[in-house]
Amino acid sequence: MSNRRGFLRDNSLGLFFLAAFLLALAGQALAGRTEYNNQLEAEQLEPVGFWTYVSSSDFGVDVMENWQSEYLQFFLYIFLTVWLVQRGSPESKSPGREGRESDEEQYAGEHAAADSPRWASAGGTRQWVFSRSLGLVMGTIFVLSWLAQSLAGAAAHNERRLQQLQAPLSWGQYLTSADFWSRTLQNWQSELLAIASMAVLSVYLRQRGSPESKPIGSAHASTGVEG
Amino acid sequence: MPMPQWRIAAGCAAAAVLTITGCGSLDERRTAASEAALAFEEALRTGDGAAACEALAPGTRDELVKSSGALCPRAVLEEELSPAGTVRRVDVHGRQARVRLAGDTLFLAGFDDGWKVVAAGCEPRPEQPYDCTVKGG
Repeated sequence: MSNRRGFLRDNSLGLFFLAAFLLALAGQALAGRTEYNNQLEAEQLEPVGFWTYVSSSDFGVDVMENWQSEYLQFFLYIFLTVWLVQRGSPESKSPGREGRESDEEQYAGEHAAADSPRWASAGGTRQWVFSRSLGLVMGTIFVLSWLAQSLAGAAAHNERRLQQLQAPLSWGQYLTSADFWSRTLQNWQSELLAIASMAVLSVYLRQRGSPESKPIGSAHASTGVEG
Repeated sequence: MPMPQWRIAAGCAAAAVLTITGCGSLDERRTAASEAALAFEEALRTGDGAAACEALAPGTRDELVKSSGALCPRAVLEEELSPAGTVRRVDVHGRQARVRLAGDTLFLAGFDDGWKVVAAGCEPRPEQPYDCTVKGG
């Protein structure tokens, strides 16, 4: 029992967000199906059931356009914070430390500790991959979900075009369409604004107890200090 | 026994593919849509107005009756749609389809009892929707 409680406490952040994600996804499916069916009924077409909607391109593109932008946000944040800094932000390294840093600073290669991951000191390809694994995985998920958005988006857009007695577009034509770029950029702009806000507001504002914030008494100029 | 990780991954991948492509084989849906279009055209060719009306979507049937002032079986035959010919191309996206025949283009929608003709006698127009002789309101 205490082991289970320990597991829940040790993983409460990940578990909370995973559960909240599933609830939000279910809510999106319910609301999305209602909206989709409202449009069908307005055209005197037959409404669809829950599972038909969940497996539709209409639901797929709505999910994927948000996923790709979230993974792009984290990929950019992970990658760009290697090279760019924000003086005073707990999200940034101190000015002067830009770059990939030495093996000594990174506990890599011969500077790896006894409890370091094995690939931190493996050398060669394994160490190269491991030292970029977070960005590689986030970037790969971004590319795949953006690709999925384009495929599902083309199908959903064509379904609407056929409903409006218009010829469907090829995938290539869809990639240059206003629908694809409107869906893409409306998500990107909000994610980029959120990063900029976090980087700058965390210089001057505090959230007591949060590792995303500096301690409340830290100077505004202190950089890379987490609470 | 806990489910092996590869099975969970395979299930997730399958769900993702279904989400992107929509359920059901695309070939099956293409075949079903073109068969529904050809059944409509065959009913017109043989002068079977009742069967032609049965192949129409409810909204299209209502609009046809409203605009012509006649009962559907008579109204649909009076439209004098071009002879259809063979199937040239079928596009299916979700529950909507376009069937291009040698002599006509039709738009169809999926219903629980199969594909129904939403619009027929359609001519393409540049940068605009097709101009259709028979269509919903």
